[in-house]
Amino acid sequence: MLNDFFILMKFELLPAVIFFVLLFIKVGTAELSNASIIRLANILLFINLVAGFFYNKDGGMFGDMFHTNALIVLQKSILNLGIFIVSLQAEAWLRTHKHVIEFYLLLLSSLMGMFFMISGANLLMFYLGLELATIPLAALANFDLEKRKSSEAAMKLIMSSAFSSGLLLFGISLMYGTTGTLGFAQLPALLNGSNLQVFAFVLLFAGFAFKISVVPFHLWTADVYEGAPVPVTSFLSVVSKGAFIFVFASVLYTVFKPLADTWYHMLFLLSVLTMVIGNLFALRQQNIKRMLAFSSIAQMGFILIGISGSSQAGTASAVYFVLVYVFTNLAAFGVVALVSAQTGKEDITDYKGFHATNPVLAWVLAIALFSLAGVPPTAGFFGKFFLIMAGAAKQNYWLITIAALNMIVSLYYYLNLVKALFMDANASPVPKITFGVYAKLAIVICIAGMVLSGLASVVYEYIYNLSTGF
Amino acid sequence: MSTSEILFWFLSVLALFSAIMVLVSKNPIHSVLWLIVVFFAISGHYLLLNAQFLAIVNIIVYAGAIMVLFLFVIMLMNLNKETEPSRNIWMKFSGVISGGLLLWIFVSATRSAGEIVGKTAMIKEGSIGLIENLGKVLFTQYALPFEISSVLFLSAMVGAVVIGKKQ
Amino acid sequence: MFSLEGITDAIYSWLNSTFNPTIALLIEFAIVVVCVIGLFAVLGLVLVFMERKVSAYMQIRLGPNRVGFKGSMQTMADTLKLVLKEGLVPDGADKFLFNLAPFVVMIVAMLILAPIPFARNFQMWDINIGVLYVTAVSSLSVIGILMAGWSSNNKYSLLGAMRSGAQIVSYELSAGLAVLSIVVLTGSLQLSDIVNSQQDGWWIFKGHIPAIISFVIFIIAVTAETNRAPFDLAEAESELTAGFHTEYSGMRFALFFLAEYVNIFIVCSIGAILFLGGWMPFHIGNWEAFNHVMDFIPSSVWFFGKVFFLIFLIMWFRWTFPRLRIDQLLNLEWKYLLPISMFNLLLMTLMAIMGWYF
Repeated sequence: MLNDFFILMKFELLPAVIFFVLLFIKVGTAELSNASIIRLANILLFINLVAGFFYNKDGGMFGDMFHTNALIVLQKSILNLGIFIVSLQAEAWLRTHKHVIEFYLLLLSSLMGMFFMISGANLLMFYLGLELATIPLAALANFDLEKRKSSEAAMKLIMSSAFSSGLLLFGISLMYGTTGTLGFAQLPALLNGSNLQVFAFVLLFAGFAFKISVVPFHLWTADVYEGAPVPVTSFLSVVSKGAFIFVFASVLYTVFKPLADTWYHMLFLLSVLTMVIGNLFALRQQNIKRMLAFSSIAQMGFILIGISGSSQAGTASAVYFVLVYVFTNLAAFGVVALVSAQTGKEDITDYKGFHATNPVLAWVLAIALFSLAGVPPTAGFFGKFFLIMAGAAKQNYWLITIAALNMIVSLYYYLNLVKALFMDANASPVPKITFGVYAKLAIVICIAGMVLSGLASVVYEYIYNLSTGF
Repeated sequence: MSTSEILFWFLSVLALFSAIMVLVSKNPIHSVLWLIVVFFAISGHYLLLNAQFLAIVNIIVYAGAIMVLFLFVIMLMNLNKETEPSRNIWMKFSGVISGGLLLWIFVSATRSAGEIVGKTAMIKEGSIGLIENLGKVLFTQYALPFEISSVLFLSAMVGAVVIGKKQ
Repeated sequence: MFSLEGITDAIYSWLNSTFNPTIALLIEFAIVVVCVIGLFAVLGLVLVFMERKVSAYMQIRLGPNRVGFKGSMQTMADTLKLVLKEGLVPDGADKFLFNLAPFVVMIVAMLILAPIPFARNFQMWDINIGVLYVTAVSSLSVIGILMAGWSSNNKYSLLGAMRSGAQIVSYELSAGLAVLSIVVLTGSLQLSDIVNSQQDGWWIFKGHIPAIISFVIFIIAVTAETNRAPFDLAEAESELTAGFHTEYSGMRFALFFLAEYVNIFIVCSIGAILFLGGWMPFHIGNWEAFNHVMDFIPSSVWFFGKVFFLIFLIMWFRWTFPRLRIDQLLNLEWKYLLPISMFNLLLMTLMAIMGWYF
């Protein structure tokens, strides 16, 4: 029993242990230098990542509050990988920061929240996990303490997440009012599609949509991404969104299966809106972080297509895309983080002639952008391919056509940036960026991931076999 | 009409009226004070459902602590009628329209919900709101969410301290 | 034998035999309201007089001694003066809130009286979460104070109200934890249960050192919660004129003044109920004869005796300790009292589980 407890809750307990180790270092009298704290935290996060691969088990605990299985283990490992890479990339920025330990504390509690959210088998657990995942992020967005934009980002994030939590809670309470239960196991049998239940579901859906910034609920995204420190932005756009996508897909497929007709139409509408508006706004951004923000909104639209497929391939393609997205977007943000930390430049025009001074970083950024655009040899192509294949199973060719058109639009602004990197001349280019062993490691992991997860078909097959059907 | 029904209607009207006053008051201090009245009315509803512990905790936490902090902040910011930003009339108009539509949908969805129409709440019976049962449930069935919320508060505190420490 | 219980029972049975139950209930409500207001008036008069006499004694002077026997009618005369005075409202004040604030403070004080057992079986409302009820309602008085401070449109008032708010919100925590440590021992939040559990000895004796620690913390915390010296920063005369009630005059000022004394009475009666056995007589183990003699003293006398002893203690503080600075005040709470009371609560829980009390 106790053994089970440790194995089943391993993913949650490890971050908790690291959290308390770091907290006691902070509270204790020993003054550690930033470099040694970062080294320690990265080692601990690496152990956390590796430990996730061993001794896993399926099962549930605490009544119907907590459950885990092979797919959930994989999802949590993807998030662990994401947070490890984010932590590696944050080193350049954290080196001189006053509150390094707090950064890790908040990052870890957010991670814990995501894990509880993914493993929760009860709307209450889900809600608490969601709050634990978002509230520390709002504080993290404020971590550029002297910048006003950072405070503004934190304020916008906390306001929009409070609003979405309000919607979500209202939905949950209505759901409880009509069914009398919050357990994922009991809910499907009690859902009969009455008007009030659909209303409650729409509110729940809106809460989710806020978190993964689907258009019309995306308004906070660009401002928060722009104002927050780059490592926090990359955490928000990759790890946080990935966690919500995982939960979203599994909740829709299992708990709200009886309402499948309702949510299929909602997904269709929202994915079209998200792709079109995300891409159109990305076209005219001047700040690279804002551009990546809108591109990430557009990518969410593609993920919704995959989820709308409502099949085993739907789950598998969404999970696979998140894995690819972790490598791809973190590679892009990693380069942006390095440039931002050392020069403070974040505009797209600053990146003109980047290749001349920083050939390696320029190539990394270019590969990441190709992958984001979905150009064939990279993993991003396979990610989008599987998503659209899953969506196509529903025979809704309008959706597929719009998705294809959007891929072309997105290609324009991604390639525009690539052109700026390699071909445009710049009188005052970004100076030579030096990067340490942490950043190098992060870049190597990202590039390897982008190439391998695309070329090795075994990755997708593995995920597909773990995924549950509809 | 029984006493509980009279109390229910009284508290509901009070809660709705004060909630509306929270929104329409020009002075933020008045809004906060009306909000305190709302919490009292809600606590009254808890009492009607025989959940005394929840009623009291609602008062301690919201009326006694959170609203006091609200009052603190708003009083120190010295907001008054003049500093209230004036809103565009079209914004107000569209806000009223969309809010009204949402209310309309909600009311009609509730009226058509077969599960809850015609059922009355268990007034003055049911023992789940009593502190003993609540404590037992909290430490057995809901032990995990309870612990998670403590981590949530810890991390929120860490965040607040970092933000508060910047000079 | 004479007892308050007998009187209330007689009134209750007479009312119920004469009227139908609803009307009897309404008449009982009316009687209770009249009694509470009467109690408030009497308490105000007695406590103000007591404070002046105690302070005079501390400072080796006579105190009021002209009006009535040894000055006993002095407070009556003062009250008359306050009633006759004009109640001014400052020009820039928020009139409605300014007038409402003293009543809020007063009503909050009245509400707390509901669950207090004044004597054996003499209690208005034996709510099953009595202790929490008292904590909850007493935390509301800060709203009245903040209202008064803000609506006066005076910076001294506002500062006083802010200080008072910070003070009440923080000291509530350790007061609450001290109360909880007794709740842990009795296993009940109902005040009548807590009193009954002290049949064979008061908690301050039965609960060993932890009970004494929580008693001390409780007394310190409630002194701060009632804004009494040495924690009277909210109305520090030398700094803030008169704090949150600077702009009040006449009857509204009298209400604030009265509420302060009533609040002292209430917190002391809570202290007496939790730690000193409420209306329970003083018993010693197997001394049958002694215990029997003690039983002959009416329970209401025991209760009021204990309460007035605690009130005397709090008055004693006022005239012996210098006022704290605001940072010292907050340090005392957050760095000393709160950790100590948390640890104490743990110790108390251990004691309760192991049965290490009499």
